[in-house]
Amino acid sequence: MGAIIYQFKKMSWSEIVLLISLMLMAAFLFLPILFIFNHAFKPFSELFNYPPTFIVRQPTFQNFNDLIMKTSAGAVPFTRYVFNSLIVVVCTVFAVIFTSLLAAYVLSKHKFYFKSLVMGVIMLSLMYAPETVGIPRYLIISWLDINNTYFGHILPFVASPVAVFLMKQFIDQIPNDLIEAAKIDGATELRIFVKLVLPLAFPAVATIAIITIQAVWGDTQASTLFMQDETMKTLPYYISTLASAGTGGNTIAGQGIAAAAGLLMFLPNLIIFLLFQKRMMETMVHSGVK
Amino acid sequence: MNPVIQSKNSRPDVNEQAELRSRKRARFRFRWNEYGMGYLFMLPWIIGFLVFMAIPICWSLYLTFNKVRFTGEGFKYEWIGLQNFKDALLKDNEYGVQIIAFFQQTILILPIIIIFSLLVAILLNQNFPGRFIYRAIFFLPVIFSTGQVLTELFQQGAGDVPFISQYGIDTFVEENFSSSLAEPIISLLSMIIIILWSSGVQILIFIAGFQTVSRTIYEAVRIDGASPWESFWKITLPSIVPFIALNLLYSTVDLFTSPINPVMEQIRKHMFNVSTGYGYASALAWFYFLLIIVIIALMLWFLNSSNRKRRYTA
Repeated sequence: MGAIIYQFKKMSWSEIVLLISLMLMAAFLFLPILFIFNHAFKPFSELFNYPPTFIVRQPTFQNFNDLIMKTSAGAVPFTRYVFNSLIVVVCTVFAVIFTSLLAAYVLSKHKFYFKSLVMGVIMLSLMYAPETVGIPRYLIISWLDINNTYFGHILPFVASPVAVFLMKQFIDQIPNDLIEAAKIDGATELRIFVKLVLPLAFPAVATIAIITIQAVWGDTQASTLFMQDETMKTLPYYISTLASAGTGGNTIAGQGIAAAAGLLMFLPNLIIFLLFQKRMMETMVHSGVK
Repeated sequence: MNPVIQSKNSRPDVNEQAELRSRKRARFRFRWNEYGMGYLFMLPWIIGFLVFMAIPICWSLYLTFNKVRFTGEGFKYEWIGLQNFKDALLKDNEYGVQIIAFFQQTILILPIIIIFSLLVAILLNQNFPGRFIYRAIFFLPVIFSTGQVLTELFQQGAGDVPFISQYGIDTFVEENFSSSLAEPIISLLSMIIIILWSSGVQILIFIAGFQTVSRTIYEAVRIDGASPWESFWKITLPSIVPFIALNLLYSTVDLFTSPINPVMEQIRKHMFNVSTGYGYASALAWFYFLLIIVIIALMLWFLNSSNRKRRYTA
């Protein structure tokens, strides 16, 4: 603590100006997050103020109470959606890390035919938005007969071009000599992969885990298109029905519930980010430089 | 030439031949070991990619030439050639307008993102207490600037900046600019937070870029009497030109595929519209996709040729 105060005293006026301007910009970027938190605690009278206010004046837990009331009245319990979401997220993260680590390792350190073709395809598919192929995916999923199973949630996410791309750029940094040395010492491919590549690429693994978690956690496509059974749908789908009319939701009264649920959706993202942010920034810096 | 020597050369020793063959076989085996390992490790990803990305994308290309109908027994396709594309470009009175509007917006947004992220990166590159906390705050939006959370936020109005109408900034803009200019500026101002939010990765790329310039150059220049201002324009900026290019490319791709992009919304709207159908929606998506690829190819070509010019003159 004393050291920090000493550092502040040592600062010149230009550094103070710098710090203040950064603080202002950071506060500006922080506004939307502030908004999510405050919006969830707003009473009904404040939700529709125009222009919208950032800070809640009379905070209440009414919205959360409504959320619990509403979900306990539904046919499928709230916990079922949470359970589905958790299972899907955990399985998908492991599957994505496994497949993309394997692929990225050989793309970076091995020679084989069509390698540049694969890289080109990855680059191209980074630009194609996956939402637009919903219907062909639906047809394939019903052809594979995995509607209403967890596979239908997990499999479409497994081959992620972004994950392989980031991972490959990161593994490029691992010196070839290290792998050669391990080979000369008689290590098998599998051993090199498990003992050498996996620990060294750990920051990239953490990054991919974050990206995948936030993509899967927020996804509604699988629940809307591939799942007909209500008990197989996930939390984000349920939340999106709260605020929309039609499926038992109410557009006006649902707003408060949707705000509370939105905060619940957002919290895991924030917590995971705070846990992993240092490693994630390392990976992003490295893969950007290449 | 001596015939004896020639015959000896043309018919090598039996031992030598066998060795050659076995060496060839060994090389073949080694290569297949290496290549086979590559294919084996690629396999899970390739299968997943083919089934859930490549085949659906190609399928949607095929569907662009069809009229797709939902019927009781499933989907009905009807071959109509290029009719979907013709409709999209000539008949649809929203699609073309929105693409042009989106391009105008992109051209305005790109410099904002680049300048903002360059500025923040310069500030964050200074040495001051609590640097890591600031880096985290500026990087935080990357986590939810994609996907559902952002869309949700946008719907709830978190992207709006309330003080624009509170302090009459919009009327100020309207009075001082011509109406054709005022409208994009106001819409830009209203989504300024979202724009600044999408600059997290770019900031990191710039910070990484600064690290490639060695400290000794700055010291040498300082001894020669250059001010920090001069050393920024003469040394920092020229050496991070490749990173500016990288950021331009990244931001372009990011903007074009972002979920709040109006063209994407248009595509999604047509997907489940019975009268136009999925074939029409995929035609819109494919046209848009090709447009992006052409633009990015142009950018790459331009950057490459300017790089080459720089290298020749240097």
